[in-house]
Amino acid sequence: MKPFDIVIVGGGGAGLYAAMEAMKTNPALNIAVLSKVYPNRSHTSAAQGGANAALGNKAKDDTIEMHIFDTIKGSDYLADQDAVEVLCSEAPKIIRELENIGTPWSRLDDNTIAQRPFGGAGRPRCCYCADKTGHTILQTLYEQCLRKGVLFFNEYFALNLSVNGSRSRGLIAMNMKTGKVEAFPAKTVIFATGGYAKMYWNRSSNAAGNSGDGQAIAFRAGIPMKDMEFVQFHPTGLRKSGLLVTEGARGEGGYLINKDGERFMARYAKEKMELGPRDLVSRSIETEILEGRGFNSPAGKYIHLDLRHLGADLIKSRLPQIREMSLNFEGVDPIEEPIPVRPTAHYSMGGIDTDNFGRTVMDGVYAAGECACVSVHGANRLGGNSLLDILVFGRIVGHTAAEEAGKFSPATISEAELKESVDELRNRMQPSGHYERYGALREELGQTLALNVGIFRESSLLHKGIQDIAELKERFKKVRVFDSSDVFNTNLMQVLELQNMLELAETVAVGALAREESRGSHTRIDFPVRDDEKWHKHTLATLVDGKVLPGEKPVTMGRYELQERTY
Amino acid sequence: MTETIDQHQEGKRDVTFRVFRFNPQVDSKPYFDDYTISAERGITVLRSLNYIKEHVDATLSFRAFCQAGICGSCGMRVNGISKLACTSQVWEELDKCREPGIIKVEPLRSLPMIKDLIVDMDPLVDKMKHYSNWIDSTMPLAEMGKKEFLVSEEEFHRYDKATDCILCASCVSECSILRANKEYVSPAVLLKSYRMNVDSRDSIHDVRLAELVKDHGVWDCTHCYRCQESCVKSIPIMEAIHAIREDALECRGPKDTSGAKHAEAFMEDIEKKGKLVEATLPIRTNGMVWTLRNLLPMAVKMIVKRRTPPPPPLVKSAKGIKIFRVMFREMTEHVKQDHQKTHKK
Amino acid sequence: MKRYAYYMSCINESMTKELDRSIDFWQKDLGLEFVKLHEGTCCGGSNLDYVSPKHFALVNARNIALAEKMGLDLIVSCNTCLMTIRTAKKKLDETPALKKEVNDILKKEGLEYRGTSEVRHLLWVLVDDVGLDAIKAKVTVPLKNYRIAPFYGCHILRPSTVLGRDNPLAPSSLDQLIEALGGQTIPYEHKNRCCGFHTLLVAEEESLNVAAEALEEAISAKADFIVTPCPLCHTVLDGYQSKALKQAHIESSIPVFHISEMVGLALGYTAKQLGIKRHIVV
Repeated sequence: MKPFDIVIVGGGGAGLYAAMEAMKTNPALNIAVLSKVYPNRSHTSAAQGGANAALGNKAKDDTIEMHIFDTIKGSDYLADQDAVEVLCSEAPKIIRELENIGTPWSRLDDNTIAQRPFGGAGRPRCCYCADKTGHTILQTLYEQCLRKGVLFFNEYFALNLSVNGSRSRGLIAMNMKTGKVEAFPAKTVIFATGGYAKMYWNRSSNAAGNSGDGQAIAFRAGIPMKDMEFVQFHPTGLRKSGLLVTEGARGEGGYLINKDGERFMARYAKEKMELGPRDLVSRSIETEILEGRGFNSPAGKYIHLDLRHLGADLIKSRLPQIREMSLNFEGVDPIEEPIPVRPTAHYSMGGIDTDNFGRTVMDGVYAAGECACVSVHGANRLGGNSLLDILVFGRIVGHTAAEEAGKFSPATISEAELKESVDELRNRMQPSGHYERYGALREELGQTLALNVGIFRESSLLHKGIQDIAELKERFKKVRVFDSSDVFNTNLMQVLELQNMLELAETVAVGALAREESRGSHTRIDFPVRDDEKWHKHTLATLVDGKVLPGEKPVTMGRYELQERTY
Repeated sequence: MTETIDQHQEGKRDVTFRVFRFNPQVDSKPYFDDYTISAERGITVLRSLNYIKEHVDATLSFRAFCQAGICGSCGMRVNGISKLACTSQVWEELDKCREPGIIKVEPLRSLPMIKDLIVDMDPLVDKMKHYSNWIDSTMPLAEMGKKEFLVSEEEFHRYDKATDCILCASCVSECSILRANKEYVSPAVLLKSYRMNVDSRDSIHDVRLAELVKDHGVWDCTHCYRCQESCVKSIPIMEAIHAIREDALECRGPKDTSGAKHAEAFMEDIEKKGKLVEATLPIRTNGMVWTLRNLLPMAVKMIVKRRTPPPPPLVKSAKGIKIFRVMFREMTEHVKQDHQKTHKK
Repeated sequence: MKRYAYYMSCINESMTKELDRSIDFWQKDLGLEFVKLHEGTCCGGSNLDYVSPKHFALVNARNIALAEKMGLDLIVSCNTCLMTIRTAKKKLDETPALKKEVNDILKKEGLEYRGTSEVRHLLWVLVDDVGLDAIKAKVTVPLKNYRIAPFYGCHILRPSTVLGRDNPLAPSSLDQLIEALGGQTIPYEHKNRCCGFHTLLVAEEESLNVAAEALEEAISAKADFIVTPCPLCHTVLDGYQSKALKQAHIESSIPVFHISEMVGLALGYTAKQLGIKRHIVV
């Protein structure tokens, strides 16, 4: 294959924006986008809420500075303040640019882009398109990439980086349609593969493929992961699928009920009840379940989100989507029965350690979006900042890679190295004696993470989690791929995804054990308060000789001093 | 006893999934495999397929990604109808089985088969490119990101619903014409084309429209409404198709294709006779040469059976046609006035 | 006696005259009286709607108003006329301004569209008004030896927001009628699919491929004949049958009946009386 200037791994919001911006920066470059799904399937489409930008359309007195402060405070002061400044300053430009190229934003009466209030934001600055913001942004970007003739390699599964000392030579990936392992020699590689929260499996709202492939590939190549312990939980995920039941259900007056028929939120937030902040509600539900007041089912323990008292009319008129979700994915009509729910992992703050331009420690390797950790979200991400993150840093990384590609000499990947990757896959497909099923391992990984590295963390639990993960990794060596076909081998692909999840799971658990404090989404029962003296810093996890080497990195401060985070 | 009673305690039902199988590497032709599993209430078809893949047969191949009805990956035919497996409840499908207890699962139609339930989406992407399914912005490059277009609520609502499309290709699979002609534009691409054409930020409306009125384009739709009925997002796709036709007649007149001429002929006949003059419809749609070549052999049979439509002079006008014509023409005046008003704007 | 206003579809006055003729034989037997609307005009097919939405509204408001004047429901025996007139009715009922504009013009003829008459298909009258048991009771020549392929056509089913009588993707009314007449319906996928009529003059090859698929499925399911509630479907499946099957390299044929003929046969009228010899395929 002809050497590329830029190979982008991932076709979601960050990847597509990077492609678009790189082409704009230097149209002469040879750019490819690899994606394991058709780009329009990417998980960006699932983001409903919107993207924050201080446009001042709704609240005239909104400012970029206020957006910066809200983000830093929301991050529990773990975000790097210079990075947040980039995020928030670029926001209005990026939203307008998307508007200029066709994103169908909802509109205000004065025909400007509509904005609405969102949790943790001092002003209504969340730009939205009904409840399909991510979907329409993704469509717009995909359309524009088709318009510009971006070269797509759809349904290619990325396997490994080809590394030569401190620089990358490109990527090795499998063409799903043919099963062929192909080399993508490239001056630069950008990872934009999304988050890793699917490792919580049925306890996650993420798409099945959010297995952190980019992070795992970078990790294997020796690039450090940052702040991996920070995983955000949403209080109400459906019992069977983990899919989100949005805040709207509680906003309209839904009750959370335990098996004794109690509205238990009275115990945790007497005033606000069900409308308390996300993390508090998540912790409350989890406490009820842990203390034995949850319902039991083959799919695990859960509590009830009861809407019945709101009446059929209100449910039909104000919460039609929630009703449809409950019917489609749980088979329960909330008009007649309570919805079975429990907290669900839905966003990963950690990721590949990058600077504000998306560079990693390895020459020619970049990352952006949920797969990267710049860090703009710190210990806790604000609603409306995840879409913004992928757009702003997708654009920046595309520009950076396009500018810097010229610095690197053209790369080649040897046949021998390619063969190594093929052999590794072949070995996995050889049946031999006792074997394990990947489905069971995946299930167990999700369970141990939810139980031991979940909402409540504690030293002994985390040790248990780390041990479980180690055992699962051992058993994984015996996992058998039953499908021997070259054509679209989803069996093999899912096994490889499980491998990526297992490798990253260890970094999450190790980071969580190391961080002896409670901050943002990370709650240690044994260290219940934020400890700025010891832990106002990022954690790093680097793979050295097959072992996770913990490390740390200072937080970049700026205008805003450390404060207690209260709302 | 710390175990509690699950108030959702629900029965289980045995379900057989009869799944289309085809692996081009080993199979000379497709076949079906039966998998019987026990499914509790609330389980979706996709979760059942996942279960089968994990526990029964790992070689069963299908696409699945978000599993939440937004990514469009798991489009397939369940009991003969194209839909998303992830939003289809097994217990509901049980009521729709042709053979009791057997849910049939097949790949989407009209797209090339790859393996089992997986079809090739590239033809659809190629058509999106062919019909410029994107906004070519009127904003100069140098101004990008500096200011917003002002877009009215009214305009937003013109394309709001159309932007719900997740390209799951259910409509593609159900389309009657596409089954007969793979080159046909496809309902999803017509919908997207419509969405672009009504967006005031776009600059290539005329180019796109010129492509849409060519062969295999918007005039080939046969109005069967299957696309609309099977749309997983309940998008009125036919309304979009009609709107493109209306726009084409308005902007380009009836000159383009036989379809446009055919549509205009209806107007003519109704005004004249109140009734359709079917005998000359083929000539007016396609010209004399086409009519003689294509319809003459059949016409002979029809004449023998006295089945031919009467020639124009013999088509009886509807009763009361005189007053009808007056009213029809009055409406024509209304339409003219409407036009003047919108053009003044 | 149940009275209805009967809409005279253009095609039934030219190519498929046998359809209306058959109804005349048995309407009294089933306690029905269809009053023909000679003043009615062409509904505009599925075209007028986008050629000129306002003319479309006017023409069909008038068609319905003629029935309303008699205080009767409007019965239609062509699927596309049914869908078209019902679409217009829906638009008129949902758009007061349009209704007023149209009524201002209709005044000239002393007509007013009020929205009081329903617009329904002949098939629905048989199944829902006469009733399956009553029909069964009148059958003198049960179709019990026949395997019958029901072909619904599109516009009696879709768009369901306009039609709404049957499940648009899994209809049953025609199957029920066939069974009430003693026949055996065969399950086949194409029963609710398209015949291709509306693109016949625009994209003939594609249209005939669509028709050929349906014919082929009915033939291979060993149906004795196809029955359809729509004269347009009939025109394609019967009139164009040999061309379609030739194009698809199929050497076989299958008769296609109107529902009015099938009812006539079961009620004891002869093929000759009903005009079945007018079909191309017999």
